[in-house]
Amino acid sequence: MHRADYVIKRGFFALVTVFVAITINFFLFRVLPGSAVTDLSRVPHATPQLRRALTVEFGLDRPKWEQYLLYLRNLLHGNMGISFAYQQPVSHLLIADLKNTIPMVTVGTFASIVVGVVSGVLSAQRRGSVPDHISTNIAIFAYAFPTQWLGLMLLILFAGILPAGGMENQFLLTPEPFWQHLGDITTHMILPAATLMLTAYGSFTLVVRSSMLETMGEDYVLTARAKGLSDRLIVWRHAVRNALLPMVTLIALSLGYIVGGALLIEVIFSWPGIGLGMFTAIGQRDYPMLQGGFLILTFSVILLNFIADLVYFRLDPRISE
Amino acid sequence: MSLQVADPQAAGAGRRAGFLLDVLRERKAAVIGLSIIVFFIVLSLVAPYISPHSATAQTCAVYAPPSLHHWLGCDDGGIDMLSEIMQGGRISLLVGFAATLVAMVIGGGVGIGSGYFGGWLDALLMRITDYLLVIPDLVFMMVIADVWGASLFHVIMVIGILEWTTTARIIRAQVLSVRERVYIKRTKGLGASNARIIWRHILPQVGPLLIANTVLTVAIAIYLETALAFLGLEDPSVTTWGTILEHAFNRTAVSSGAWWAIVPDGFVIALVIVGCFLFGQAIEDALNPRLKVSHFSMRRWQLRPLVGRGPGAI
Amino acid sequence: MSLLEVNGLHVWFDLPGGRQVHAVNGVSFSLDAGQRFGLVGESGCGKTTTILALMGLLPPTASVAGEVLIGGKSILAGGEDTVRRYRWREIAMVFQSAMNALNPVKRVGWQITEPMVYHGIAKGAEARKRAGDLLEMVGIPAAAGERYPHEFSGGMRQRAAIAMALACQPKILLADEPTTALDVMVQAQILELLTGLCDELGLAMVLVTHDLPVVAHLCERAAVMYAGEVVENGPVTDLYHAARHPYTRLLFAATPDLYGEDRVTSIKGAPPRLDREIQGCPFRPRCDVPLSRCEVEHPVLRTAGPDHQAACHRNEAVDVA
Repeated sequence: MHRADYVIKRGFFALVTVFVAITINFFLFRVLPGSAVTDLSRVPHATPQLRRALTVEFGLDRPKWEQYLLYLRNLLHGNMGISFAYQQPVSHLLIADLKNTIPMVTVGTFASIVVGVVSGVLSAQRRGSVPDHISTNIAIFAYAFPTQWLGLMLLILFAGILPAGGMENQFLLTPEPFWQHLGDITTHMILPAATLMLTAYGSFTLVVRSSMLETMGEDYVLTARAKGLSDRLIVWRHAVRNALLPMVTLIALSLGYIVGGALLIEVIFSWPGIGLGMFTAIGQRDYPMLQGGFLILTFSVILLNFIADLVYFRLDPRISE
Repeated sequence: MSLQVADPQAAGAGRRAGFLLDVLRERKAAVIGLSIIVFFIVLSLVAPYISPHSATAQTCAVYAPPSLHHWLGCDDGGIDMLSEIMQGGRISLLVGFAATLVAMVIGGGVGIGSGYFGGWLDALLMRITDYLLVIPDLVFMMVIADVWGASLFHVIMVIGILEWTTTARIIRAQVLSVRERVYIKRTKGLGASNARIIWRHILPQVGPLLIANTVLTVAIAIYLETALAFLGLEDPSVTTWGTILEHAFNRTAVSSGAWWAIVPDGFVIALVIVGCFLFGQAIEDALNPRLKVSHFSMRRWQLRPLVGRGPGAI
Repeated sequence: MSLLEVNGLHVWFDLPGGRQVHAVNGVSFSLDAGQRFGLVGESGCGKTTTILALMGLLPPTASVAGEVLIGGKSILAGGEDTVRRYRWREIAMVFQSAMNALNPVKRVGWQITEPMVYHGIAKGAEARKRAGDLLEMVGIPAAAGERYPHEFSGGMRQRAAIAMALACQPKILLADEPTTALDVMVQAQILELLTGLCDELGLAMVLVTHDLPVVAHLCERAAVMYAGEVVENGPVTDLYHAARHPYTRLLFAATPDLYGEDRVTSIKGAPPRLDREIQGCPFRPRCDVPLSRCEVEHPVLRTAGPDHQAACHRNEAVDVA
């Protein structure tokens, strides 16, 4: 049926994009001149044994197309190489980092969506009024300030009140009980997540507002009013429900931006996530880590885009045509 | 009543300059945005002549707070903040415009080629843009900038190479709708070359939308430049708005309480981006007028008391 | 006491710059149960605004004077918040284009049950059953309620909109150009449907249209509006064959007769602007038989026959008190 077709089509698209990303990755790091991975003399602390092992593992003495296939095969097994700096499998390190990034980014993104939708809807309802102008302009500015600047501002404002860095208290002598540990992480998460919320909500507000203005001009809103429904139902059940469709698309498009923002935030707040991992890898010239980080982040965005496609599909019954 | 979406061709057709002037006249936001952009361009041009102090040599104490001599205080190297910001703007704007130029050229080429020639070329190019759109910008740029090395040129190229996709789509859409027009077919029938058709007929139609897109791309480019600089992927010897923030962060401006090394810089970046956004968005809105009617409002209609009755009642 | 009574209804709209448009100027008429009343005129004559005003469905730029009485109760006297209580329950509306009047993301059956549930008339399975019955009554299989509006054809959507309007068993049905957007065959069916429903359910109906044959087919009485005023009202046969206002006469003459040999005539000129006071008769510039009085004296509705009134100086009869 139509619905299955759509899912398959989007799924296929996601897979192909993954494949393209992998190929670009390979091209960047292996094919381009000056590629660090091929030039083993750039591996820090490289012993001859290590070089020999790496050459075998990545097939560096074979023709490029063979390397490519080897690369694909390795990836299929989850093998993204060994970190130059830590001498451990990249995938293990990055997964551990990812586990730290996900909660912070989820909380921040969720907050930005909620704030964006609510402020967008309220603005649209009061179009042209002073609160509308204020809210819209604040949103534009929040979006325009560089993410790192917002993070630094929060640091300046809340230094001393909230933890200024890290994910948890590093100086404890004995391990904390679970709930206290959770609370510790949560207080450390407040500033980074708040920064993410501030940097992302602006675009949501603007899109929700303009989408609402368009929706409120639709005849079915007049029908809802004619039925004698309350303001709240007219706005939320009829107008917002339709206005949210472009919002889902926007969230999907913003994922790249959110990932970039999260990266900067992790650097500022020393949040031990995948962004900080990649940043450190730059300084350490740890190219396998960089590659792996790029792949994982790209995979995540592709996956989330696919999920957004499904959500949109679920929300809009007209899609299956 | 149906929703009217203005045909961008109709809006831009043959009166490019006139259209922009209309937008400026009718929309305050456009004027504000353009003024901001022009202000900063002019500021960058005259900066070396009006900077109160050197932007490279030390003229005060490390992290000296704002004072009469140094309105915005000094940074970690004892360099006057105000001068740094004024001159840093030159490079930031340069990077912004140059990267946008690269993006426009690539995007324009892809869009025109794709829309005009159609067929497998179109399908292929559009697939490529679809895929590139999904890949996260900053992460990708980080990887590329790191592999190629940190330099201003690389930053410009990297931003340009990744930001052309929206331009390509816009131009392609315009080309597609213009291509079908009768007069194009006639011109072709008369033997005009493809290049001539593109240059004389298609490009002018695309004008205002392209300008809007350019301006918005400049905003993105400036934003990305600051991010790349912050991550240490730009030539550290060059002063840009981005490197100012990077220095402040890496040289403990926060713990030193030197807010003046952070706050003003962020403001000028935000101002330029807001200016670009206001101007670009105003043009896009003008090309796509929306119905003003709304069937819902928080405000209510009014009752007037009936004075008198019968035919003379008001 | 009539079921629906409109007395001296006026509607003004604010214009930017402080002026106002006098869109509806002293409209009065009344209806009893089971009667069908037509409101005809050119686009912009104020007929749509009039029936929207009957339900209080006006934008915030509107000011209203006059009375709308349903069963003797003045429903507009308390403003938007009190007129809501009457909406859909006493008086309901079928809009011009059901494509847009139905919410695209909600199932049709749900849109019919929504007002039932909201106004406390029925809920759950009972409501769904009633919705199914209503759909059957308008000629749609009850199971179609599970579908979305975009899955219906134009004619089916309009039927569904009629079913939806009847959801809370109103006494008065307003129809705004219900068949304009449909093709001729479907038009006839919808009109038959409306006639049948009115007879069966004893509904009073006000039908707004610019399509004169529709009025002739459906309504016993009608009012002709011009420049926001009622210029003639009475039995439809009188309007057709014994019009006492030049506009009515020209209007009905302008309708091409499929079988006759009359030349198609049109009325030269355009309606007057409504943002300023009109001197004399508003139709004077386009009238084919003006008197000198018509320049300076604004005509009022006078009796021109049994249950027949016209606002023209050429009628010598008693003033309507």
